[in-house]
Amino acid sequence: MRAALIGAGQIARQHLSCLQSIPEVEVAAIADLAPSVAEAAAERHRISRWYTDHRTMLAEVRPDVVHVTTPPGSHLRLALDALEAGAHVVVEKPATTTLAELEQLARRAEQAGRALVEDYNYLFNRGPQQILRRIETGELGSVVHVEVSICLDILGPTGFADPNVPHPALGLRGGAIADFLPHLASLAHLFVGRHRSVRTLWTKRSATVLPSDEFRALVEGERGTASLSFSGSSQPDGFWLRVYGTRMLATANLFETRVTFDGLRPGPKPLRPFVNGLVEGKDVARAAVGTLLRKFTGGPGSYEGLFELLTGVYRALRNGSELPVTLGQVLEVNRMVEALKPVDEAPGVQPLRIAAGRDGGRS
Amino acid sequence: MKALVTGAAGFLGRHVVSALLERGVAVRAMVRPAARIEGLGWPPSVEVVRADLRSSPDLHRAFDGVEVLVHLAAAVSGGEDAQFAATVVGTERLLEAMARTDCRRVVLASSFSVYDWSAIEGTLDEDSPLEPVADLYARDGYSIAKSWQERVVRRACATHGWELTVLRPGFIWGRDHAYLAALGVQISRLHLVIGPLSRLPMTHVENCADLFALAAVDPRARGQTFNVVDGEGERIWSFLGDYLRGKGERGIRIPVPYQLVHRAVQLAFSTVFRRNLKLPQILIPVRFESRLKPLRYTHRRAREVLGWSPPLAFEECLRRTFEPAGPARAVA
Repeated sequence: MRAALIGAGQIARQHLSCLQSIPEVEVAAIADLAPSVAEAAAERHRISRWYTDHRTMLAEVRPDVVHVTTPPGSHLRLALDALEAGAHVVVEKPATTTLAELEQLARRAEQAGRALVEDYNYLFNRGPQQILRRIETGELGSVVHVEVSICLDILGPTGFADPNVPHPALGLRGGAIADFLPHLASLAHLFVGRHRSVRTLWTKRSATVLPSDEFRALVEGERGTASLSFSGSSQPDGFWLRVYGTRMLATANLFETRVTFDGLRPGPKPLRPFVNGLVEGKDVARAAVGTLLRKFTGGPGSYEGLFELLTGVYRALRNGSELPVTLGQVLEVNRMVEALKPVDEAPGVQPLRIAAGRDGGRS
Repeated sequence: MKALVTGAAGFLGRHVVSALLERGVAVRAMVRPAARIEGLGWPPSVEVVRADLRSSPDLHRAFDGVEVLVHLAAAVSGGEDAQFAATVVGTERLLEAMARTDCRRVVLASSFSVYDWSAIEGTLDEDSPLEPVADLYARDGYSIAKSWQERVVRRACATHGWELTVLRPGFIWGRDHAYLAALGVQISRLHLVIGPLSRLPMTHVENCADLFALAAVDPRARGQTFNVVDGEGERIWSFLGDYLRGKGERGIRIPVPYQLVHRAVQLAFSTVFRRNLKLPQILIPVRFESRLKPLRYTHRRAREVLGWSPPLAFEECLRRTFEPAGPARAVA
């Protein structure tokens, strides 16, 4: 299958690394508005053609799949153009800036009979996948609650909080944190399903240009509850997933390889904390070594899920089987994302605002 | 004569502004929107333009009445893609803007990092080979961006028939910028000095700025490329000693032979580390070599073509770098 990319920045490089590891995929072309960026990406990844105009690329290359890896404000237009050109679309998160745009895009994909996949790469990291297996085998029991928490320093001057040039994510309602909402929402959705109600808290601790840098939410899902958070100030960086089941507590750090399980093990009850502690300690030590080895020996690192996701997408497109991320899932996750965003049109202007809604009421 | 200086509030830029003024060149200083310029002591004659090359519209207006562009702006921190965007895309936008103006002369701050350090033996000079495409993307983000920046500028100058002077400084040092990457590996108070007798390709920021100002005004510089070093360079061991004394730090220097570490890095990279490019910089052979390979350096071409020699001797550079800061020296 022939793939093409629109957007040749940091995330495009991750897509390219994945695509070049899938034998049946040929990356046929790449486009970027900046000629040097497009040409450097083509040179580095040995892609034969590069463009500064995506429409010319779509017309000349006729790719089977287009990856949209530009800043979010441009996704809708580029994805529509790719569908128009007859391609399936893999779009980086957030797929669009609003739910209305997403629904427009989804309708167009359905009419065109083409796939539309939003990148929920972290669902396919080993942590969530191992926890899913424990749910399938019944070991974890049923899911009661899930916590998803991202601690990430986004306050530095060269990224989201660049004081010289507004980062493209600041165009989203919710600002830089809105860029991470699809990760939080897709994980919550994976474990507790669609949301019924959402309560949020958007606040700001830093003196940066960011509209808000702290976020908390409580989600009532159809199969359980979820608490979601993003912190720009808590350190160290981590992406914590904690799934509370009726028989087991599972914890994973998706930036690393750590996954631990704390369960109702057989044996005398007073010894359970001791045994759980020993087993958890062993798992943490093993994960620490695994994370270190992963750093030294290369590979996708915390983007391991992107490799799994893209491999699955191309397999499904080839075989006509179900995609690893379905259109229904994308719609439900985006309804949750929309409910999580601050209600103000100007994001985060009022700190400590609490918003509540039923069933993603604004969908 | 008026010069447009980009990156004017940067470490090199503030001294280049000063050096140009000393040579009687009027300066329009381009600084980023959030840059702080209050403490730089620029006289009112310096016109300040606030712009970010990545995004500001109407960059061409900054060229009004300008005869020479002294292009110093480049990212020195941030991720690989952020550096590429700031350094290369910014340059691309700046040159597109320049093409709409009457300015036809460019002085570019390139870097020693554009050279093919793995291939060069003996003396590194302006005729030494540049990093080939095959190895470029194994280099660090700064080197990739600086190589591409020079490529983009050379192409634009060839396309438009502009006159170009490329200056490639080695390590630029001075007050608050005296710890150089080549000084080795610091672990708390221990300094592992890799190749202690190797020379450092160094230029004090005021000497470096002097050559930039000369290149901007001297017609003989047109079409030339100059390496910028103050001389053959200090040895790593002795300069680290000067640094520690100057900073009043009590570090312990441990000498390690270059060849020994180099062999170990090469072997580990191709075996256990499986050519992984996410390793710490010093464990990737091409990056190790570009930082530490013992070569010889010279400013012979700048001397022969422009009659340049660094105005400040090493002892004076040390004094200006490490002696307690007095009242702010006027820069013009």
